[in-house]
Amino acid sequence: MNAIEILFWLLSALAIISAMMVLLSKNPVHSVLWLIAVFFAISGHYILLNAQFLAIVNIIVYAGAIMVLFLFVIMLMNLNKESEPKRNFWRILIGIISGGSLLMILVSLIRQATEINNKNALMESGNIGLIKTLGKLLFSDYVVPFEISSVLFLSAMVGAVVIGKKE
Amino acid sequence: MNAIILSALGGIVMMFTGIFTQNKIVIKNIAIITLLLLLIGNLLHFYGIYMLHVDVKDMLQFNNFGLFFNTIAFTSTLIYFLLSGTDITKVGINVAEYFALIFFVLCGVSILTSFHNLLMLFLGIEILSIPLYILTGADKKNLKSNEAALKYFLMGSFSTGILLMGIALLYGASGNFSIESVPSTTSKVAEMANSSILTPLGLLFVFVALLFKVSAAPFHFWVPDVYDGAPSVFTSFMATIAKAVGFIAFIFLFESRIAELGPSSRIIIPFVIILTLLIGNITAVFQQSVKRMLAYSSIAQAGFMLFVLYSNNDISSEGILLYSVAYSFATIGIFAILIKMKDYTFEGYNGLAKKEPLIAAANTIFLLSLAGIPLTAGFFAKYYMLLSAIKANGQNALWLVIVAVLFAAVSVYYYFRVIQAMYFKEGNPEIATTNTSFKVILLALAAIIIFIGLFPTVVLNFLYF
Repeated sequence: MNAIEILFWLLSALAIISAMMVLLSKNPVHSVLWLIAVFFAISGHYILLNAQFLAIVNIIVYAGAIMVLFLFVIMLMNLNKESEPKRNFWRILIGIISGGSLLMILVSLIRQATEINNKNALMESGNIGLIKTLGKLLFSDYVVPFEISSVLFLSAMVGAVVIGKKE
Repeated sequence: MNAIILSALGGIVMMFTGIFTQNKIVIKNIAIITLLLLLIGNLLHFYGIYMLHVDVKDMLQFNNFGLFFNTIAFTSTLIYFLLSGTDITKVGINVAEYFALIFFVLCGVSILTSFHNLLMLFLGIEILSIPLYILTGADKKNLKSNEAALKYFLMGSFSTGILLMGIALLYGASGNFSIESVPSTTSKVAEMANSSILTPLGLLFVFVALLFKVSAAPFHFWVPDVYDGAPSVFTSFMATIAKAVGFIAFIFLFESRIAELGPSSRIIIPFVIILTLLIGNITAVFQQSVKRMLAYSSIAQAGFMLFVLYSNNDISSEGILLYSVAYSFATIGIFAILIKMKDYTFEGYNGLAKKEPLIAAANTIFLLSLAGIPLTAGFFAKYYMLLSAIKANGQNALWLVIVAVLFAAVSVYYYFRVIQAMYFKEGNPEIATTNTSFKVILLALAAIIIFIGLFPTVVLNFLYF
């Protein structure tokens, strides 16, 4: 068992435990904080797979921007004990059935995916996820959409100013 | 490429104009001059004169059809600026930014008329939509405008999500973003998915998302509220140029791939056409407000434009160009008059012919054109669309054509209600003061519509030279 394997198992355990805690914690703000832990653990996995760019983007976009939005929504909704919907038997049954169906589909998919049997992930050797590779592609084959997307961001920025500016 | 670069630059020029001057007339005139430059730049492209030589890696392809639609869109915008430019400056304080956003929309238009790659389709649709969300909510103090903007934004985001899902599935099926179906030879996934459901499903998702953007039923629910809630000047722009280009995107995407949608495409498209015509026309009959009636009528007009997907041949491509001209010009004219009115209900138009005979006459011509009465551009637009269906499918298309003609007859009812109110009812309509140039441009626009109605081939000849 080398260092990478130890890290892998540690990160996996962290990801699964945090994911469970997202569901189990009573306080929605705690759930969100646990979700951030999940994202960090998954980012750790990406680094193990030699995909640094994906790892950083995952932290910046998910743990940064989207989580802040989540927190805002939770704070704005003003959740408390009284407004919590009552749990009844049918609600739980429906939840179990739909969740179980999803689990069944996922398990059967993985069982059927013979392509990935006995294959190892490209630990440390793959170079697809490196910033260098991505940058080369972005500035050669995809340079036109890359440049044109700047118009999109510019228009969004103008829009934000128009909407947000005080009259 | 000229159009894309110049329209983006135009947007930036307008942004900076806002720093240096607050004079609304100056800003409006700069916008008109920039738009003229854009129009000239686009025309130069016909003659092979480019600003920059860009290796577009086959992501964009420029042909006469797309360039001609650009010309139509820019000309319509020019007329729109000339007629309603002053009203744009009255919406709020960020005058220069409104013009900048309109230029960004035009950038989206020029991408959508030249895309050859699903990535560019996505970018084009987003560059088209995001400024429109903002323009919808430009009247910040008005609750209806706020509601419309939020509704448009949320619904639009969902439809973009569906579009992306479709693009992802198409990518999974072929291993590339090309709009033509070239199965990749290297992709393992493509090999596995060759005979799979990925392509039809992906195409269906993209189809649904584009139907949303062109406001076809059953994805039309946002249209009445958004068109009604948005400031009238921007509704005029949204309902014409931004909508017509959706059909161009449709043509480019489905020209070669409609068959891959599976045998169901023969059922889905007539179903969508009839549902759009039914909902648009029947609901428009019951409206009390002219603005809301125009929103439903724009759904009904989309039903006719959807014939381009049904027939998918040369005549329908010519037809959609003619339809875009007829529909955009007439709608811009009607809205230019509507903006000047104080009361948007049908009663508000009572007795307009006595007070402003010239404006009433122009409005009548625009409404006749929308209804498709002969001698106006709208007649030939509808004629070409129906003819293309017969040419494509012969006798089998006859029932669809008959249904469409019946609905066109229904549309006459609500268009003529406005004419009836203007000419045959007594009343004292409150209309903002209009200067002579407004009336002159309005009458010139009406003259153009009649001219196209007499000689439709003059417009189409541009396509072939």
